[in-house]
Amino acid sequence: MTPNLKTQTKTTINDLFARFDLALFERLPDGLFRPVGQLPDWLAAFFSADNYKAHDLVTEFPILEIFLPEFEIVWTTGSPEQMRTDVWTETTPAGAELYLEAIAAIAEGRPFLGIRSLPQALFTYQQLAHDFELEKEKVERLSRELDIKRREAERATQAKSDFLATMSHEFRTPLNAIIGMADVLALTSLSAEQQKYVDIFQRSGVSLLNLINEILDLSKVEAGHIELERADLDLQDVLARAMEVVEVRTAAKGLWLRQAIAPDVPRYLIGDPNRLRQIIINLLGNAIKFTEQGGLDIKVELDPEQAPDKASPGRLRFSITDTGIGIPEDKLGLIFESFTQADSSTTRKYGGTGLGLTISKQLVELMDGRIWVESQPGVGSTFFFTGAFDVQDDQTVRSPPSAGTEPQTSLEQLESLAAGLRILLVDDSEANRILIIQYLKKIPLVIEVAENGQTGLDLFKVGQYDLVLMDCEMPVMDGYTAVAEIRRFETANAAKATPVLALTAHAFASMKGRGIEAGFTDLLTKPIRRVTLLETLARFGHSSPASVILATSKLPEPAISEPAIRVRQPGPIRIRIEEGMEDVVPGYLEKRRNDIDVYRESLSSSSFDAIQKLAHKMKGTGGGYGFPELTDLGGAMESAAMRSDATALAQYIEEFSQYLENVVLE
Amino acid sequence: MLKMKVCLLGSFGVGKTSLVARYVHSMFADKYHTTVGVKIDKKLLEIEGQEITLMLWDMAGEEDGAPVKMNQVKDASGYLLVADGTRSKTLDVAMSLRQRVEAEIGPRPFLLLVNKADLRDTWEIPESTWGGLTSSGWTILETSAKSGDQVEEAFTLLSSRILKAQADDTESQDADEDDD
Repeated sequence: MTPNLKTQTKTTINDLFARFDLALFERLPDGLFRPVGQLPDWLAAFFSADNYKAHDLVTEFPILEIFLPEFEIVWTTGSPEQMRTDVWTETTPAGAELYLEAIAAIAEGRPFLGIRSLPQALFTYQQLAHDFELEKEKVERLSRELDIKRREAERATQAKSDFLATMSHEFRTPLNAIIGMADVLALTSLSAEQQKYVDIFQRSGVSLLNLINEILDLSKVEAGHIELERADLDLQDVLARAMEVVEVRTAAKGLWLRQAIAPDVPRYLIGDPNRLRQIIINLLGNAIKFTEQGGLDIKVELDPEQAPDKASPGRLRFSITDTGIGIPEDKLGLIFESFTQADSSTTRKYGGTGLGLTISKQLVELMDGRIWVESQPGVGSTFFFTGAFDVQDDQTVRSPPSAGTEPQTSLEQLESLAAGLRILLVDDSEANRILIIQYLKKIPLVIEVAENGQTGLDLFKVGQYDLVLMDCEMPVMDGYTAVAEIRRFETANAAKATPVLALTAHAFASMKGRGIEAGFTDLLTKPIRRVTLLETLARFGHSSPASVILATSKLPEPAISEPAIRVRQPGPIRIRIEEGMEDVVPGYLEKRRNDIDVYRESLSSSSFDAIQKLAHKMKGTGGGYGFPELTDLGGAMESAAMRSDATALAQYIEEFSQYLENVVLE
Repeated sequence: MLKMKVCLLGSFGVGKTSLVARYVHSMFADKYHTTVGVKIDKKLLEIEGQEITLMLWDMAGEEDGAPVKMNQVKDASGYLLVADGTRSKTLDVAMSLRQRVEAEIGPRPFLLLVNKADLRDTWEIPESTWGGLTSSGWTILETSAKSGDQVEEAFTLLSSRILKAQADDTESQDADEDDD
């Protein structure tokens, strides 16, 4: 037989007890408990006498206090046959834990109490299950906390981008006026010294605008708000346009600017032409800044580091090499970080914030590429970047697709294209109105002005315009509502849609979507440069001839609470004198001409009261003498004087003077 | 010598065993060790000249599928409900236990100990919860078996509440007898 069985036959009862870790007591009729056989070691730590009273057992194992009365029933009635306690834990004097249970049973008609130690392994799972559950709860708690922190962070990011959007708007609006007025000022006859100041004025304005744009751009990239476009891209065109932007600066410094595109590089790609151009312009601008002699080379080739088996014809490497001051080796890694140039003194000497490189890096990464620089101080630097583009199927050379890619039209051409247009300008900002009027001053065209959407709509309904320039946020009626009303009016009258361009200081793409949805034809972002405005007029001004006469165009003039200024651009303004007025009108005009000096003197001494009184009179009289424009101007000057708005007044006085110069009596 | 049976009840892992270990043995172990069945400890104390033996029934924590054995709370003079401040559902368990215990043995003095006060920064149970409970007669102590904070106070307070309750009981019994 098996050796096991052999061993078993030699086992004593005590061995059996020991094997099952069981201590057995017989309950004697006198109520005492007498150990049967030898107590196991673990129990001997608690008991050492021959017989025990129930009280002793309870003292040692208090849980028995609950169970002994029920055990008595088992022992005296034999029903149920056996009963066991709940498990309890005891700690031995040596510090070990025992898991015990007691059992009451009848065997051979005699009552017994057993106490046994349960194997530890029986309870291991419980420990593990609890450990697991506690860990799980901890992980859940941490992930909840993380969730809260993530939401907080998202809120903070949102707040930051809202703040930036608002601030960029707030910056751009006054900057529009500053840069624009500088442009206007540059158009007037200036002394050499004044010209120099205006140059600085323009340059500083533009560099401030660039900085704002860069910060905004960077924050958008960082917030993940920039997505690359997937559009047709003509590589040669992108390079040419980028070079065009910096040519003035290389020419001024006497630097060469060359490009080389490797013959195996496909010309027609799919990607984001504007962002690619932005990167190249950034790198070129940077190179020019640090290069005093020599020049710049742009090179485009297939990325030579591609694995040959995975080589894609659209994976390109661009490099821009300069012969500038170079970058010390220990600074090479830093220059793509925000607000870091190789040396903080660099910023003072060469200008710029270094943000351009950070933005370029982010954009390159969006193009699935990387950007790096190799440089030798005193010899020059080469900035490399790679990017992945799709290749258009058709690589046959074609002419540029749209007017936008034609060679730049000269200012003169643009001006002549704008001549003769009838424009409605709706903007509550006086500074912007003046700016646009001044931009167009030299061009023979008609521009009518309204200060809010409602006035603009009223004018639109009775007038005929080639084009409407409309601010988006205005009191009374905003631009979105006004353009929607205009579209409704056109539909109702079966009229062709007049181009309505939104003027907004919001640079966000979402604004454009909203504008187009409302009915705007396109959007002009403030600050608006003169050349941009002229390009827009040239592009849209002739798309909808206002010769389509609206059926309702003879509605009575709307009542306008604020004056709508009519500035009829230049040339003689012919006013017919009404019958019976021949004797008084010339004198009236003569007196107004005398007023000009009074206005100017009052303005130079800030005597707004005097201006207000004089303007008020003109407002009340102009129309009566046959000069509604003077009534309008008087009203405008009166309210400007009440606001002590010297800038506006200067403008009005100038207009006033021009009007008087041009007016011809018939 | 007066003997009082005090049960410690609550969800698993709230620190019942640690509170007893701190109170009886002035010890604390960081490692979690689950209690099997029930573990009974003794502590002698004196309140207002009265010597008392506290029998502390540290009962295995309640968990899903393994409710606390109500037969074991029989004859308890009072009890401590223990919750873990870092786990809000342990408060729900404590509240449910209180109902079951009262159904089993009737009203007895008890305290709610919100344990792990040393981790108060990460508590899930907001202190605002206390208002509602205290207004319905609960006494709440924020304890830390780790630092010992409020531990001795908790056991002493419960013991004196039990003493007072028993004294009131005796008086009213005497009064009843007088009435007869």
